Amino acid sequence: MKPEIDKILETTAMQMMTQIAPQLPPGYTQNSTGLLTMLLNFCAQEYENGAEMRAAENRELRNLLAELEGSVEDVRLRVKLGAVMGERDASLKISDLNYSNAELKKLLIDVQTYLETHNDDQAKLARREIWAVLKASAKQRLLKLPGM
Amino acid sequence: MSDDITPRLAAYMAKMLDIPAVDVDGLSRISGGASRETYRFAARYYRDGRAHDRRLILRRDPPASLIDTDRSAEFRAYKAFHKLGVPVPEPIVLELDNGPLDRPFFIMEEIQNCTVASVIQPDPYGALAPKIGHQFFSTLGKIAKADPDKIGLGDFEGARTDSWKHEVERWEREIDEDEREPQPIARAAIRWLKRNPPQPAQKVSVVHGDYRSGNFLYDAEGSIRAILDWEMAHIGDPLEDLGWALDPLWSHHNPERPAGLVSREHAIAFWEQASGLKADPRALFWWEIFASLKGAAIWISAAREYGDGRNTDPVNLFSGWYCLAFHNKVLADRLAGVGA
Repeated sequence: MKPEIDKILETTAMQMMTQIAPQLPPGYTQNSTGLLTMLLNFCAQEYENGAEMRAAENRELRNLLAELEGSVEDVRLRVKLGAVMGERDASLKISDLNYSNAELKKLLIDVQTYLETHNDDQAKLARREIWAVLKASAKQRLLKLPGM
Repeated sequence: MSDDITPRLAAYMAKMLDIPAVDVDGLSRISGGASRETYRFAARYYRDGRAHDRRLILRRDPPASLIDTDRSAEFRAYKAFHKLGVPVPEPIVLELDNGPLDRPFFIMEEIQNCTVASVIQPDPYGALAPKIGHQFFSTLGKIAKADPDKIGLGDFEGARTDSWKHEVERWEREIDEDEREPQPIARAAIRWLKRNPPQPAQKVSVVHGDYRSGNFLYDAEGSIRAILDWEMAHIGDPLEDLGWALDPLWSHHNPERPAGLVSREHAIAFWEQASGLKADPRALFWWEIFASLKGAAIWISAAREYGDGRNTDPVNLFSGWYCLAFHNKVLADRLAGVGA
């Protein structure tokens, strides 16, 4: 499809902002319309980046969790961590990527909680590795405000 | 919707004032957060032999609220701090019955010819920033200094001891109930907050609960005319409000100027001078982490409201998307920095 969907969303947002919003009475309706244009811009960003961002994040999480297996003594947790590298995203649909992402994050919460109860050097290093991945993920998921 | 309630609002006001009729004109909805529907209107009536023309604000509960907040507490906070000389609109009447306007509401005066900053706008205060900044953080200090018992708010929700614990548990419950996907950063923040409690509060204060840029009205001369949105007011540690006011989300994209107003050092100094309290750096850091966690919890609830279709106000989607991503970044950077 040309133009691309993100371009259509951005253009629609711009039309709402410059042509429709000024015709509305000041107040809630006009402000809400401004917010809606921003949300369309966010949708445009997600259209272009959403699948790649999630696939990359899932890859990073799998690599991290597989590495963390060596830092964990709890047998049940080790088994879960050991199984992660054999898993794949079912498809590149956002819903499938989100499903995998949620499963991986549940396991990450478990292993991070476990490591916080240990204070040896290996656990400290593992916690730093987790935060490095969480920081990178949080940065990737930031949204750009139009015009900023 | 607004036209629908005009005659009922007029009838309610006439009954309240014990007069035959009130003319309600120009009822229109304005932005005022997702926890209340906010309308402005003019009320004209004859009473005591003369004509009155009042500009008023109606704050009505929405069909579904972002966070369950107590409109009685909000109204009482306006009354108490109005008497104390803190700039707030004069509260007029609180109605808890669903009958008159379908949902509980209250009415207060409209502060006119003022501006409220948009939180996403860069540098909204311009040259007025130093003047407004001094008032903003000093007024917060004044709120912190007030004795909740002496101003009639001693029974507010909250905890007098270990308020940190009470607040963390409150917002953890909110996340437990409303998260639609795992939140590793928010969960790690909760665990860190519980493992590293702050020192006990210096005093028990009324905590505004949402004291920030974007929640006050200022005029063209740079005078703050009204502190708004007391709907999350409660009893607790006064550092809670300072941590929230300093949060990067409200800095208008300028990390050097909290609330987009003044330097962090000046902000804290103004607060300390007005409150007579000390902002211990370690305790304040704890409350700043808490502020971002509380923000995350509110945005998670906003996304839930929107996603479940209970309240599809676009501000809920914006909060649940942009603001949550922002606070996750703040929390990840700060917690990684302290080796959480």
